[in-house]
Order: sequence, then structure tokens, then C-alpha cells
Amino acid sequence: MTEQRPFGESDHEPLAADDMLSQAIGQWREDTPAADLWPGVARRLDVRTAPRRTRISFTLPQLAMAASLLIAVASGVTWLAARQPLTAVDTQPMVVAQSESTGEVEGGIVNANFADAQFNAAVTDLEQILHSERERLDPRTVLVIERNLNAIDAAIQEARAALNDDPANAYLNSHLADARRRKLDLLRHATNLASAGGN
Amino acid sequence: MPVNDVVLATEGDAAAFERVYRAHLPRIFNLARRMAGPDAADELTQDVFVRAWQKLALFRGESSFATWLHRLAVNVIIERFRTLGTARERFLADSEAALDVAHAPRTKHLDLSMDLQAAIEQLPHGARTVFVLHDVEGYKHEEIGDLLGVSSGTSKSQLHRARQRLRVLLRKEA
Repeated sequence: MTEQRPFGESDHEPLAADDMLSQAIGQWREDTPAADLWPGVARRLDVRTAPRRTRISFTLPQLAMAASLLIAVASGVTWLAARQPLTAVDTQPMVVAQSESTGEVEGGIVNANFADAQFNAAVTDLEQILHSERERLDPRTVLVIERNLNAIDAAIQEARAALNDDPANAYLNSHLADARRRKLDLLRHATNLASAGGN
Repeated sequence: MPVNDVVLATEGDAAAFERVYRAHLPRIFNLARRMAGPDAADELTQDVFVRAWQKLALFRGESSFATWLHRLAVNVIIERFRTLGTARERFLADSEAALDVAHAPRTKHLDLSMDLQAAIEQLPHGARTVFVLHDVEGYKHEEIGDLLGVSSGTSKSQLHRARQRLRVLLRKEA
């Protein structure tokens, strides 16, 4: 038996089957605690430390309100788009938020697709354009846009607050990403409309 | 153990968590015994399951629950070593000194009937941890380095020395 092996690759690698250590590990007996350890564990399972995975539930009125909001946003965007020839919209310069490379992180958790800085920069640009061009829009159009933007902002804030408590929650991340996309889409449509002459 | 017990425990069901505990107790207890010795194994095992209860909400099912729990257990045990006054530098520096096999006594005065458990208890925490994680639990040096906050080269060096020391301690006289 080699007692003092030279330091080399072989001693970084898994042990050979015929190595005395392999044999010793193979014979290393499993043991069990002499006493039941559960009572000691149970005493320390404080209710305050109980795991509580965040569950998201909605009441019927909340669901109805959410549905109404979606319809309002979709209607507003559709109404705005319908009033604008597609060719004019398509030729307008657009500010596009850069999405991160993927929405996935390891383990399948979906994160929000837009980095905060990128999203905020895009929103700021679009809001500035919208502010400077808003005089060219019908006041009723401005009202619809602002109402929908406020609703989306509220959804973004709620999602962010919930994510503070549960940062890895896939649903919340996805919800936040969707809300951000909706805000950018609405702002793009609004600025395109205003830049093209509004009403 | 039904998978549902992990889900129920995640939602705060202590009875389900007890079933989870009983299903995983043997592996966690033996991990603690091998890494920290029999005297500390009971308390460390309890610590691991209390920590698991506290962290269950973070288990997302990306790995098997057994893998997640094992990793958590290793972290709890390593933390214990450190809080016992074994700061990282000392954790490994002591190992270097204690494992200086070039000056180790020959085995004639050693108890040659000593089994691996007894032999490994003569190793310092750092070397014992590296040996158990690599040779018994199958971790890679990079993973061990991450867990201990050292380079994979240090992990390799520790393993080499731990193996040599253990061979000396286990050697049977002809």
C-alpha cells in the first residue's frame, strides 16, 4: 500500500475502488439518533417562522374590475389606433425599451423582461414626447390615455410591492413585465398618434 | 414520502413537515455526524430542520427536495463551524498544520482498529468537511470552494492531505 502518495491529479479525483478509503467509506455504517429529535424540532417551529408562500387570490369585484380595466385599455388603444392610418404610425420613430436577453432565469423562474433603468428611460422619453405633443390631441383622447396610464401604473406599483415580499414569484414577475409592456405600448401609440397630427 | 407533504409543509402544515422530517432524517443525521462528529450531530440535525422550516417558502421545486435540503444542511453545518470560532482563515490554516502528514507519527502507536468515523474525527473541521463533501457526498471541488469561500485549489489541497492522513490512521499493520 502506498502510504505517502505524491501530490498529483490522482488525489483530486474520485477514489479508486480498491483504495482503502473507498472500502472504508463503503463500510461506514449508517447511524440513527439515540433519541427522537422531533420534539426538539417541533418546539422550535414557531408560528412566526412558519413558511407562508404568497398566494394571490382575487375577489369577484376585483376580477370584474380587472376585466373592465383590460377592456378599457384595449378599447382605448384600439380607438387610438383606429383613428390613425397604419402607414403613418409605422413611419414614426419609436423609443423601444431594450429587453433583457431572456425572461428566464435558472430553474424556470420568470423574471420581468425589462430592466428598471431601461424601462424608466423609455417611459421618460415617451412621456416627454407625449407632453410636448399633447396639444395636438383631442382632450377626450388625452383623458382616455391618462386614465389608462394611471390604471397601469397602479398595477405596476402593486406588483412591485408584492415582489418586495416574494422576489422569486414567477407569477408576479410575469405580471409586472406584462404591465410594463402595456404601459410602453400605450405610450407608443399615444406618441405616434400625437406626432402624426393627433385628431 | 408523498410529494404533497412538501407542498403542505410549504403552506405551514407542521404535521406534513414532521413526515418530511422523518423521511429525510437518516440522510441529514448521518451527514451531520460525518461532518461534525456524533456529539454535535443531534443538535445540528435539529438546526437543519428548523432552518428548513423557516426557508421552505423559498423552495421552488427547481431541484429535488432532497437535494435542496442536503445543500441547506451543508450550509448550516459549515456555519456552525464558523460560529464556533473557526473563522475562515483559521478554519483552513488549522487544517494545514494539523494535516502536516510529512511530520505525522508513524502508525505503530495508533489504534489500528479505529474505523473511519473515529479516524475522521481526528481531522480538523476544514479537512473533514472537504473529505466528506468530496469523497462521501460527491461534491465537486468548485462546489466545495463556493460553500467554504475558498478556491477549488485549496479544496484539492485539503482533500489530498485529508486522504493521506486518513490512510495513515486506518492502515492495518501487517
